[in-house]
Amino acid sequence: MFSLLGGIFLGWSLGANDAANIYGTAVSSKMLKFWTAAMLASVFVIIGALVSGHAGIDTLKGLTSFNIEQAVISSVGAALTVAIMTSIGLPVSSNQAMVGAIIGIGLLNNEMNFSGLGKVFSCWVGTPIGATIIAVLLYGGLARIYNKLDLNLFVSDIVIRLCLIAAGIYGSYALGANSSASVTAVFVGAGLINKSSATLIGGVSIALGILTFSRPVMETVGKKLVRLDPFSALIVSLSMAITVHFYTFVGVPVSTSQAVVGSVLGIGIVKGANTISRRTLANILIGWLLTPVLACLCALTIFFLVHLYYIPPNYS
Amino acid sequence: MLSFLFKKQSQVEILIFDYLETLKLAQNSFLNALEACLLNGVLCENFEYLIIKTHKFESRADDIREEVKALMYEKALIPESRGDIMLLLDAIDLIPHLFEQILYSIQTQKLTLPDFIVTDTRELTKISLECCDLVVREVTALFKGNERIRDLLTQIDGNESHCDHLERLIITKLFASAVDPFQKLQLKELIGLIGEISDQADRVSKRINIINIKRKV
Repeated sequence: MFSLLGGIFLGWSLGANDAANIYGTAVSSKMLKFWTAAMLASVFVIIGALVSGHAGIDTLKGLTSFNIEQAVISSVGAALTVAIMTSIGLPVSSNQAMVGAIIGIGLLNNEMNFSGLGKVFSCWVGTPIGATIIAVLLYGGLARIYNKLDLNLFVSDIVIRLCLIAAGIYGSYALGANSSASVTAVFVGAGLINKSSATLIGGVSIALGILTFSRPVMETVGKKLVRLDPFSALIVSLSMAITVHFYTFVGVPVSTSQAVVGSVLGIGIVKGANTISRRTLANILIGWLLTPVLACLCALTIFFLVHLYYIPPNYS
Repeated sequence: MLSFLFKKQSQVEILIFDYLETLKLAQNSFLNALEACLLNGVLCENFEYLIIKTHKFESRADDIREEVKALMYEKALIPESRGDIMLLLDAIDLIPHLFEQILYSIQTQKLTLPDFIVTDTRELTKISLECCDLVVREVTALFKGNERIRDLLTQIDGNESHCDHLERLIITKLFASAVDPFQKLQLKELIGLIGEISDQADRVSKRINIINIKRKV
């Protein structure tokens, strides 16, 4: 159990940060009570992890081979990266940190599955792009239906709120299904636990992060999303969930934050407005480049430190 | 069907329609007071009673508005709808306030209308209050979707222009007359206040139209 702590911390931070992308809009605008949102998200993250979390585990554990020590080092390295980047205020994706740490282990083993790695990187690039396309298509289709219904103010209010809750449930399911692999895949690779236990531990640790520490993040991140009109916020939520779920089928853990940025960009395209700043796009690049590099360095450094030996001076 | 899930929202809806009924009562009371004043003069007993009655309805409308706001602060509805409804109620609430202000002006300054402007003033009041009725229908259309908002907006806009015309006509007649100059200024202010009812109704109507347009995606 002690060996799993790095992974559990990673899952916890993932839950604490990513829940904001799912229920941030609803909670920060007080449409939904935090505890209702947190409970819904936690339950569906665990369900998502248990039902569809296996594919991501196969991809990540297939990137290189692990022994138990390397699994622990990679998870601690990824966790340390998340802690460092968060403390200096840089955007970070736990999934990308985990992949970076796995690359570090792969370098040590001189064994890397480059086709798997290529698949992972292309999915990272595809996340915001895919989310943008989905948001554009969803907005066009659903807006037509919504306008045709011509609902009065109170009814449309109820419909949007219910849809936001439903999109949040779907988003939670997708998050659990997609990201639980990052938390425990290395331990499955090392033979420490089986896949079912891995998805359960992954899901529960993400849920723990949501329940214990997602409130401040939800309230701050959610306020940025709330600036969108309610219908656009719904589209962002839904296209994020669809994108992340799609990559669950592909078997690659991706960043929900980057999916949200892509979706907001899609809304901007439909409305002809500039919804995303250059800084946000730069943050995505940082996520793509700096996070895995730092995680890789962390894993290598930890490995080096673990293997330092004290050699007493020879007095003879 | 979903009222158990959206209890606060249902309460807001009930209170808004309660507010509109109170507005109608204040409007009737204002009209009766004005008629009493035109027929029997400002010192008649009925006029005093109707002023108090109008004030009570205005005050009741204020209380309902505050109740709606309190519910909104307790997070009923989505943020955008909250903001829209709060601003809308604030805008409507200026109408009963105008009723009260007009009656108080007549009461405190003991104003009497010269015969040559009575008919036009009655017409101005009638059309202004018609605008209020249309505003109530427009608000109902926004919340129930039972009528076309655009049609009501056009009617209110037309009435408001007619009121502006009448207001100018009355003031022109007034200043062309031999009425005491001080009294002319007092009456000009009164006519301006009556004309302001349709102006405010027009502002509310345009706000409703914007809320309606904003909801289209």
